[in-house]
Amino acid sequence: MILIGELSLWVALLMAAWATTAGFAGAYTRRVELIASARRALFAMAGFVVLAAVGLWTALLTSDFSFRFVASYTSANLPSVYKFTAFWAGQEGSLLFWALILSIYASIAVYTGRKSNHELMPWVVPTLSGIALFFILVLCFGANPYARLDWIPPDGRGLNPQLQNPGMAAHPPNLYLGYIATAIPFAYAVGALITRKLDSEWLASVRRWVLLSWFFNTVGIILGMWWAYVELGWGGYWAWDPVENASFLPWLINTAFLHSIMVQEKRGMLRKWNVTLVVSAFLLSIFGTFITRSGVISSVHAFAQSSVGYWFLGFLIIAIAFTAYLVTTRLNDLRSHAELESIWSREASFLFNNLFLCGIAFSVLWGTLYPILSEAVRGTKITVGPPFFNQVNVPLGLGLLALTGIGPLIAWRRASVKNLRRQFTGPVVCGLLAGMVLFGLGMRHVYSLIAYTLAGFVLGTIFQEFQKGVRARHRMYGESFPVALFRLVVRNRRRYGGYIVHVGIVVLFAAFAGLAFKKEFDVTLRGGQTYAAVDSYGDNWTFVSQGVSQYDELNRQTTAVLLDARRNGKHVGIIKTEKRQYVDSQGNPTFEPATEVGILDQPHQDVYVVLAGVTGTDTAEMRITFNPLVWWVWYGGMIMAIGGLIVMWPQAERRRPQAGYAAQMAPEHAGVES
Amino acid sequence: MPNRRQFFIVAGAGFASAALARAVGAQQQQMPNMGAANVPMDEARYHPVRLPSRGGGTGPSMSDLQRDALEHRLHCQCGCTLDVFTCRTTDFSCQISPAMHKDVMALVAGGYSASEIINAFVGVYGERVLMEPEKRGFNLAGYLMPFVALGVGAALVVALLRRWHAPAAGEAPVASLPVEGTPDELKRLDSLVHRDDP
Repeated sequence: MILIGELSLWVALLMAAWATTAGFAGAYTRRVELIASARRALFAMAGFVVLAAVGLWTALLTSDFSFRFVASYTSANLPSVYKFTAFWAGQEGSLLFWALILSIYASIAVYTGRKSNHELMPWVVPTLSGIALFFILVLCFGANPYARLDWIPPDGRGLNPQLQNPGMAAHPPNLYLGYIATAIPFAYAVGALITRKLDSEWLASVRRWVLLSWFFNTVGIILGMWWAYVELGWGGYWAWDPVENASFLPWLINTAFLHSIMVQEKRGMLRKWNVTLVVSAFLLSIFGTFITRSGVISSVHAFAQSSVGYWFLGFLIIAIAFTAYLVTTRLNDLRSHAELESIWSREASFLFNNLFLCGIAFSVLWGTLYPILSEAVRGTKITVGPPFFNQVNVPLGLGLLALTGIGPLIAWRRASVKNLRRQFTGPVVCGLLAGMVLFGLGMRHVYSLIAYTLAGFVLGTIFQEFQKGVRARHRMYGESFPVALFRLVVRNRRRYGGYIVHVGIVVLFAAFAGLAFKKEFDVTLRGGQTYAAVDSYGDNWTFVSQGVSQYDELNRQTTAVLLDARRNGKHVGIIKTEKRQYVDSQGNPTFEPATEVGILDQPHQDVYVVLAGVTGTDTAEMRITFNPLVWWVWYGGMIMAIGGLIVMWPQAERRRPQAGYAAQMAPEHAGVES
Repeated sequence: MPNRRQFFIVAGAGFASAALARAVGAQQQQMPNMGAANVPMDEARYHPVRLPSRGGGTGPSMSDLQRDALEHRLHCQCGCTLDVFTCRTTDFSCQISPAMHKDVMALVAGGYSASEIINAFVGVYGERVLMEPEKRGFNLAGYLMPFVALGVGAALVVALLRRWHAPAAGEAPVASLPVEGTPDELKRLDSLVHRDDP
């Protein structure tokens, strides 16, 4: 199987090359047999990439240490689940994983699109094949997972302890699924630009893929935050690391697109902008991959440096130049017949929403690249860390949060003063009440107060929207309130699923604002000694060390400390924190000691304990951190994911005659100046 | 023939790629293996920051909390993106942040103020030891650019909204015709026109 996998990679290369060449030639010359051949080659390529992936998984699971990749990232005593996930632990395997997902996505997109998009699909196939060709080329010539060692070591080096965590098993695949899904809208955009079929039709196909990308990106980012929090031991979940930033950029752009697409669907406006967003999301995904793999910017998440950085740089340049050429030569085709009835309209608010999302994306990109720019201009190396990003992005994020509440309150086309007053009164009162209560309780941190006030406002908006819908159904159909709520969401998944996503965003912002009240203490305790501390809520905590214990486990030697935690004199739990020395099957240490964080998680606050070191046999040095509201980051993320699933869930086609304004705005009526 | 816009785009892309390629080349020479690869850090990145004690027996120049806040402003030099205070307990088994922490402790015990300690670290490591660039000179561009971009974007959005809101150029104004009807009829017409308003 391993040999078949190895050979399959080379056959996949040939298939990708043929699908790209024949596809572009067929699309250009309109030769049907070439187009069909390219499509079949794409499916064949996907099949061979799957075989290549299965081959590598077989090598990993059977511990075939003749392969450099297997010997570098696994050991004989590594649990099977981590042998499986070691696939994406290293450069070569993760690139094969990219190619695998891309091939599967491409096959699904081409198969499901075979009966629609007849004019675009001939261009979509070679574009996707071209992207796959690039990855397979890198795999074959730059980072081959099937490269062999000159000798077979008795055991492998093992998997980095930081990656032996369920979060790390799930975080990269989700992120890749999100990243790579941007390739499909990109291919559609290329097809639409080349054929100049730039009406709203292609966007219907694209929207599903953008949603898919957004969904997996969201889940991937939240899982990454969770992994960083429980595994890395620095007491936080987001450090504005370049690689974290790289994953955030496509998410921001996809979010902007999912809002601006509504304006195009409803009003036929923003065509240029939407094409630009689709293309940018893909280019930023590639940029993120480039950053992770090139070593151009220092990051704790980066793969070991290799020559693949140049490959990605070359690909990025070609992709940027190609799409810039296409977009600039089709500007006239992208011109839409735009007419705004009022600045006080939802379409205008969506423009500002896009402005803030893209503004944040720009500032994140700027901060990430600024050290390179500074070194190029001044010759001085600088660091752009969290303080910079927080200064710039917190105000922008708060502006975005405000727009999350404002957008749904403003009517499409035109909002009258009376309408605005009626819509805004309730949510504004909610927000002000939230702010005043917290101020009354003694909260003085300005940004946090603003965040909670805006959170109250947005929640008020969402509650009002649900309440209006439920009451209308109750009145019209006599449904009970729970039934009305259920049917309201089920029959308007896109709208109310979106509101549920907004609830998740509010919960996340509330949790982020809690970070302002974080407290950290460095503690040294012998067995039986007690440490007392006061948290941000004013509660008195005592931690009694239960001593240091040392023992061996499956593939590690563990040093553990137990703390008996009491809040206001009442026992609340035992917190265990560990240092682990991982060993190979011969008992030799494989990596530097790793920390296992002890967390006492509660809805209002986490108590986070990290064992920094042990002196002698019984004295432990620890850091105890009170982290308010972290629990809500994970639940906010889950709410967002649930909302995303509701939005994505396929809706049965309901054939309802459109009337009036909606009919006028249907794609066939949306004017395009040519 | 490419037009001026296309020329500038291609030229800009070429310039940016050349700069990036140079940066990639430079960084690939300098970057240590780390992170996911978990190769031991380069301990040569540590440089002692020492100043003679001021004496006088005045004790530490700041409280533990103030010292922790100071360490949050210093960038650990192990290759991570964290500050000295935070990196000390992370999973990276950093040897450099504890050493930098000891230097801070010694300087605090020696009676030096926060700004003096920061300056001492900048003197040894350069500006990169700060978690954020100093807000002066070229760095101001770094801080201001996102807001400038946002301002330019906002101006563009407002200009677009105005243009879309205004009647298209060249479009002949349509004379409003007198609408005749009873007040009741006019009221019904008005409600029909605005029936989509929520």
